[in-house]
Amino acid sequence: MAVAIQLHSVTKTYHRAGETLRVLDELDLAMDASTFYALMGPSGSGKTTLLNLVGGLDHADSGKLMVGADDLAALDGSALAQWRAENVGFVFQGFNLLPVLSARENVELPLLLAPLSRAQRRAQAERALELVGLADRMDHKPRELSGGQEQRVAIARAIATDPQILLADEPTGDLDRSTADQVLELLQRLNRELGKTILMVTHDPQAATYADKVIHLDKGKLGRIDDNRTASGAGARS
Amino acid sequence: MPFKLLWRNVTGHPIRSLLTIASVAVAVFLICMLHAVTSGLTRTLSAAASNRLLVQSAVSLFVDLPLSYQQKMAPVPGVEAICKWQWFGGRYEQDKGGFFAQFGIDPETFLPSYPEMSIVDGDYDEFRKRRTACVVGADLADKYGWKVGDTVPITGTIFTRTDGQPWQFDVAAVYRSSSASIDQQTMWFHFDYLHESLETGGAIGPQGVGVYMLRIAPGTDPIGVQQAVDALFENGPQRVQTTTEAEFNRQFVSMLGDVPSLLQMVGGAVLFAIFFAVLNTMIMAGRERTRDLGVLKALGFTDRTTALLLIAESLLVCGLGAALGLLLGVVLEGPFAAATASFIPGFGFDRGTLLLGAGLALAVGLISGLVPGLRAARLTTVAALREVG
Repeated sequence: MAVAIQLHSVTKTYHRAGETLRVLDELDLAMDASTFYALMGPSGSGKTTLLNLVGGLDHADSGKLMVGADDLAALDGSALAQWRAENVGFVFQGFNLLPVLSARENVELPLLLAPLSRAQRRAQAERALELVGLADRMDHKPRELSGGQEQRVAIARAIATDPQILLADEPTGDLDRSTADQVLELLQRLNRELGKTILMVTHDPQAATYADKVIHLDKGKLGRIDDNRTASGAGARS
Repeated sequence: MPFKLLWRNVTGHPIRSLLTIASVAVAVFLICMLHAVTSGLTRTLSAAASNRLLVQSAVSLFVDLPLSYQQKMAPVPGVEAICKWQWFGGRYEQDKGGFFAQFGIDPETFLPSYPEMSIVDGDYDEFRKRRTACVVGADLADKYGWKVGDTVPITGTIFTRTDGQPWQFDVAAVYRSSSASIDQQTMWFHFDYLHESLETGGAIGPQGVGVYMLRIAPGTDPIGVQQAVDALFENGPQRVQTTTEAEFNRQFVSMLGDVPSLLQMVGGAVLFAIFFAVLNTMIMAGRERTRDLGVLKALGFTDRTTALLLIAESLLVCGLGAALGLLLGVVLEGPFAAATASFIPGFGFDRGTLLLGAGLALAVGLISGLVPGLRAARLTTVAALREVG
């Protein structure tokens, strides 16, 4: 299986209130393409920082981070923005939909950066919304949708440009169990049917069971990687 | 779609946006009106004829000159014609709250000295022949519905009739003016009618002439005539000051103070106030939308694009305000021009006024948008997404 994301000795530090925090500490990690990863660990272990680095939202202080064939350290400013638009889809805990736009218009947002006509944009946004089961909610504003529906719109927005990688930061953190399961099933389906590589930060062990592999971080270093597909017992969901 | 996002962001806070748009509209309207007034004054001054001199008392415009001065000035080389002007200061009986100027003049020399005036109704000869006749401006005739042949009762405030009745003036002709130096809201009547009434005891009031207008012959040096006339009365009984029509107009305007500078200062203050109002709105909008900006950046929008979104939003708000303000100005231009025609005959919106209003509003929009726009550009995606929505 091809390697989608590769980290060699990646370090990231933050300076807060005169204190230096080493959030990622010479991390080495390789993630396969078309695999659903859950990223777990205690608070401050570097999960969200790792997600931000892989998504090109932030730069590592040192080390090498390759996503596909792209060395993210070599990209800066608008080049990195363009790379994000073409390669990554984000799903956030708080959904982060633009409240003034309808579901369809929110999904169309990333497509504005693609060379598409208005009609093509609209059609592609509608296809993404149909895929997440919201064909009948396209013209609703975020405030007119339930939390689960909002997150599904956010997922539709993340896949609208057909990126290879989906990054999800606690996507079910604001949802009840039943709705969370529906969202996780949707992510699993996107991985299995469309071959998306998914990296999902979660604190929820039950959510992690939807992933193929679970990466455990501890104090900025790799703890272990569990493979749910080979695990026995109740750990994995298929 | 980008415009839709802009529009939705503007209409997302309808009351705040409406108030900002309204304040920009009022500011643009005020600035345009002030500019129209100053440029109207300038037009009036610059439209003054170079072959007309005005002789007034060296003490003040409010001090009359003796009637005998006309005969003394007539032989001055270069003086082609003389016309007396006397401010009447009467009130029209049917509109006591309204105001328009009335002047007693010499009909024989008046119209030939003002080629910019043309008679559009009635007959100037009829005016010359009848001592109680008057000529009125077309705008004045329109305002009060006067027609040739009507009698207009005017109550004197400086010159009052001893019988307690108003003065009666017969409309003999209606004029239009092609120059900003002469408005179309003035009534001209026979100076002799006024003078004889005073002489015979039919009326009481100051006897004399407010201003003498001297028309000078083509090719004559106006400065030479000015000096010659001033020299004539250097030893009294009443010293005079002879000026060009432009200078006379300038002095008349400056009696109110340095009006153009004052108006420019007021305009500047209005502009400053509105700049802070729009800036405040845009900074609030930028801060409220920090998380949205982070989302846009995460989706692949560049720093430049997110900054442009806020700048464009500010320009949209100010553009709408400018459009509303200019519309208001264009609608109210006519009534305002009519109300001020006696003081500022050159008042009017020209292309420069409209461009000034629109340009200033857009400049305010641009600068007000730059502040949150630059902040948005500098904001890191991670920090923006961390912002509590």
